[in-house]
Amino acid sequence: MDATSTSSDGQLSHQALERLRGLRSEGSHEGIFTSDFSVNEFLMVREAGFEPLGLVVGSCIYHVGVQYTSWSRNQEMTVLSQAMYHARELAMARMEQEASTLHADGIVGVRLEVKRMEWDKDILEFMAIGTAIAHSAGHPMFKGVGGKPFTSDLSGQDLWLLLQSGYRPLEMVMGSCVYHMAHQGVMKSLGNIGRNAEIEVFTQALYDARELAMERMQREAGEAKAEGVVGVQLHEGSHNWQPHVIEFFAVGTAVTPVEDKSVLPEKLIPQIVLPVND
Amino acid sequence: MSFKDLIKGVVGAVAAQAAPNDPAELARQDARMAEWTQALRHNSVPKFVSERLRHTAVGRLPWVSTASPADLLTLRTHGIETLGMVSGNCWFHFGYSWTEGHRDGWHTAIARMQHEAALMGAHAIVEVTLKTRESGDADARSSMDYSATGTAVKIAGFPEATAPFVATVSQLEFARLLEAGILPIGLAVGAYYEWMSDPYGWADASQSYFNQELEVLASFQKRVRKSAVDAMRDHARTMRGTGVLGRVQFTEMFREKGNNEEPTQYLCRHIAFGTVIQHRRNQHESLRPRAVLLTRKSKIQSLEASESVI
Repeated sequence: MDATSTSSDGQLSHQALERLRGLRSEGSHEGIFTSDFSVNEFLMVREAGFEPLGLVVGSCIYHVGVQYTSWSRNQEMTVLSQAMYHARELAMARMEQEASTLHADGIVGVRLEVKRMEWDKDILEFMAIGTAIAHSAGHPMFKGVGGKPFTSDLSGQDLWLLLQSGYRPLEMVMGSCVYHMAHQGVMKSLGNIGRNAEIEVFTQALYDARELAMERMQREAGEAKAEGVVGVQLHEGSHNWQPHVIEFFAVGTAVTPVEDKSVLPEKLIPQIVLPVND
Repeated sequence: MSFKDLIKGVVGAVAAQAAPNDPAELARQDARMAEWTQALRHNSVPKFVSERLRHTAVGRLPWVSTASPADLLTLRTHGIETLGMVSGNCWFHFGYSWTEGHRDGWHTAIARMQHEAALMGAHAIVEVTLKTRESGDADARSSMDYSATGTAVKIAGFPEATAPFVATVSQLEFARLLEAGILPIGLAVGAYYEWMSDPYGWADASQSYFNQELEVLASFQKRVRKSAVDAMRDHARTMRGTGVLGRVQFTEMFREKGNNEEPTQYLCRHIAFGTVIQHRRNQHESLRPRAVLLTRKSKIQSLEASESVI
């Protein structure tokens, strides 16, 4: 846990509490927070017992190295895999640092964006953006791995629902794999003319790439001592690489059961409702 | 960039660049690929995949799920336990039949996903998404990858199942269906295509100055669509389903302009999917839903926004 924000008994320090009180005091400079919350999201974050502190951003402009592969080989492009992972990690770490400066307990609604620079296809810009929040009663339980603020791509509403389900977010976990899909060659292509058949070499490449990305994300969750990963999204992208190169990127929020059940609101029993304007 | 970041970056880059040409690394990748070949030919998955899935199912590895936090509530309310994400894919070349190619590609991908779920001891796979992928390269012409991804779940009190049910609905919607006595059992696929010859070039009324419906093309499209939906219905019937929910469809029409020797031809193809359910007709017990007004409409993903997602 951040030494500057906590005292030795694990409670929020006097200064942090002062600042949190300041968040809600009129006329205070600290009282002005920024966020990209919608009205519903803001209300639900407060319902979950948190206050927004500010929008936090981390970015990284990265030059992706070169890797040559054999034309006829299914192979992971390790240089690219590591570049994509490392650059995202740098952007995330910088965003977390901003949140730590705000003495936040966590960051919600994190979005990870990748953009290619116009003038050079090997330069990619990664940006992580989210809203830093802090528990309004200063409960120390909500910090993420190693006392750092937790990170999550869940919205404010989902944070409330997650707590209702008895879990709290730990950190966003990611797995990336950039893969070169072998070319099957002219003879093999000619052999397929008129046949309905599986192209095994392509199937295997995509299967293996997806498996590697999933494995890596799961390993990261295991290292964070999470019980599970929610809201997993599996992205496929090619970021303007050559047609046979593809990236699988798995991302989700690692969660752990809430230890101190007393801070949770009353148990929610879902009811069936019928939206009348949807 | 901090000094730590810089060091990490340099070390990372050096490590990465050393790896690709390392013969040991290449041999390891070859061995992995050989395992894939063997496993997929025997309708199975390599040992490293089955072990990961089994370890996940018994809690030695964190579970992984596409579920939203709201979906997790179904554990408490309906005893639906998340096991882990499962997937399957098949890159299929359609030579003599586009229709059969699509059908077989999807069937293989879904069967592979079901196999992964069965290895975890799942009763069902929920929130299944289906995607296609094409490559512009010459050696991948007339072929496409079909992939299916979803979350395997176990339902408390259900008997052991050999082939897990497949549903495109979310965990919460799955629970809602079970509550209403409706059982989602699988995915039905129907695909159909047809060529139509237009020897006089009348079908598109290109010489006409008037507003008019292109009846020939409209009825051609209708016929193709009906055949695909009939095929989907037949597929659902073979699963002993009583209905299909959440139907999504995809139609394409192309024109191949004629010349002195060949007439103009039109190609229309249609593919339809849906979740097959079993229910008892005319035996509905009201769930007494409460009507609510949403203050903000939920975003619905449109087909246009993600054209590769079907």
